[in-house]
Amino acid sequence: MESPIITAVALTKYYGKSEKPSLDTINLTIFKGEKFGVFGPNGAGKTTLISLLCNIIKATSGTIEYTFDNQKKNIKEKLNQVGFVPQDFAFYAELTANQNLYYFGGVYGMSSINVKEQSAHLLEILGLTSVADKKVKSYSGGMKRRLNLAIGLIHSPEIIFLDEPTVGVDIHSKLTIINHLEELNKKGVTIIYTSHHLKEAEDFCSRVALMDNGKVIALDTVSELIKINNAANLEELMINLTGKELRD
Amino acid sequence: MNKLKVSLVKEILLLLSDKVGLLLMFVMPLLLVFIITVVQDSAFKLVNENKIEMLIVNKDQGNLGDSLIDNLALSGSFNIDVSNELLEDDIKKQTLNRDKLIAILIPKNFTKKINQNAEKISNLMLTEFGVLDSTNVLAKNQSLKNNNLDFYFDPILQESFRISILSGINTVLIGIENRKMLQQLFTDLGYEKIPDHIQKELGKQNVSINSMPASNGTSVMVPNSSQHNVPAWSLFAMFFMVISLGGNIVKERLSGSFVRLQTIPSAFLLTIWSKVIVYLFVSLSQLTIMFCIGMFVFPHLGLPELKMPTNILALIVISVLSAYAAISYSLLIGVYAKTQDQAGGFGAISIIIFAAIGGIWVPSFIMPEYMQNIGMISPLHWCIEGYYSLFLKNGEWNELTGTLIYLLLFIFGCQFFTFIKLRKQNYI
Repeated sequence: MESPIITAVALTKYYGKSEKPSLDTINLTIFKGEKFGVFGPNGAGKTTLISLLCNIIKATSGTIEYTFDNQKKNIKEKLNQVGFVPQDFAFYAELTANQNLYYFGGVYGMSSINVKEQSAHLLEILGLTSVADKKVKSYSGGMKRRLNLAIGLIHSPEIIFLDEPTVGVDIHSKLTIINHLEELNKKGVTIIYTSHHLKEAEDFCSRVALMDNGKVIALDTVSELIKINNAANLEELMINLTGKELRD
Repeated sequence: MNKLKVSLVKEILLLLSDKVGLLLMFVMPLLLVFIITVVQDSAFKLVNENKIEMLIVNKDQGNLGDSLIDNLALSGSFNIDVSNELLEDDIKKQTLNRDKLIAILIPKNFTKKINQNAEKISNLMLTEFGVLDSTNVLAKNQSLKNNNLDFYFDPILQESFRISILSGINTVLIGIENRKMLQQLFTDLGYEKIPDHIQKELGKQNVSINSMPASNGTSVMVPNSSQHNVPAWSLFAMFFMVISLGGNIVKERLSGSFVRLQTIPSAFLLTIWSKVIVYLFVSLSQLTIMFCIGMFVFPHLGLPELKMPTNILALIVISVLSAYAAISYSLLIGVYAKTQDQAGGFGAISIIIFAAIGGIWVPSFIMPEYMQNIGMISPLHWCIEGYYSLFLKNGEWNELTGTLIYLLLFIFGCQFFTFIKLRKQNYI
């Protein structure tokens, strides 16, 4: 039986003085080695859920448990086994790719040799070796997106959270990113992923949670969800469950 | 790999890539100190070494008008152009046309009126001594009228400068009037003139003024434009780091780098401390460079040399606290500003206001009392007070207590509100 790596119980989040919760009593279990997708329209609560699971924000109520080596842990104790790839380009554009990786690897506590080896490996796989010593501000959108991913993976985490990792990139960069994530998953890395590209998600994710208005409205494998809801694909299923109304 | 080391390397690389920030922190203060010191030094030389161009129109029908001109010329402060043919109405225009800063019109009854005044004083004194009858004196008193010199000045002349010139002319005038009074007294007592031995003594200035700066140490610091400007403008430049450091924090926050750091154990605080260390080094480097230029370069440019205070430990403590206050203020601006423009704009304007009310541009003591009280909120005021104690008065620790207490409170306040904001945003 698959072992759970993240267990969220009754997770609720209110921002400021808002009376409407951004996340409303979420119960969720993510298993080790899964490719877990979180999808939903704008404002559904995807980024809030990812931010809570990564310890970026605090829940108003509810609990999150992490299980590493069959031991339940607080996320703060195991942050260095978690990788986070935010939707924003969270790096230093004035520095080179090598300098960025050296810095982020260093603050994860990696040795200098380790950082060098891992940087070279990631830059090679993500097609950035030739520009490794150029300032990142001169990169194209796709190159920046790939570097954003490389930084999140520099310390070889067991769990990776990816918030829209392929947004705004061309098909080549998208394929490179997805292929590398597949490779990592094969090695046992758990991937938690959000995207607006439902076709990409359909192909990539083993299990998905569909969210709307801060709630999980469907949770299962893609094939099972499509079958149960009698939809042609994930896109049609999403429209059926959330309606055609515009979301901002 | 040492986490602090990689954070410091990152901060140094970011700083080196910020060319505008570096210019503001290192080139701007050098230019400011140089320009302001040269300007102030030139103003000092204009007053003390150069002669002021003066136009005199002497309409006096006696000899005291000429005497006044001779005495003004002897004072060595004026280049005098005498044009008696000018009409009174033309003087204003001619002052500007002839590039004169000031002009004096000596009225036609100048000698007559001074003589009348001398006669009056002499009679009053002789009446007091019982030599003359008082009714005679009163009758003469009533016939006296005002006796004014007209003083014209170029409107560009600053008030303080004008007052100082007027004071110089008054001194010469009082000398002439006093001499005339004494002469009249001797005449009324039956002398032909003031006896030579008394005349000789009158020509001497028996009491001269020794000008010495007040000081607490054993060595005497000589206040000059370098002693005032180098510390003042170095502090101003140090606080200008708000543009670089404040902007740098906003940029990292908005780019999402801070969010990524939240997911890395202890990385966020490490980053903040790295910034503090790097910018502390930057601030102290700024001061060292500015002081070295004041000490070693200024004398070669004809500017006064900067003399360092004897209490070097106090200088280091005040410098480190001033730098830490500037860093704390920059961090505060960085975490509260919503955009980089806001951090740069608000940061720069607030530092200019702090400098203005804090006594960096003009000394606090010449400001109205309410402005002096408002100036107390400025960290720059306390920093400069500390430096002036050291650079101008050779002050000791007990005189730095106010500065030390305020700076510590200011640092604590800034860091407290920074902590509150970062805590609220779950960064720490």
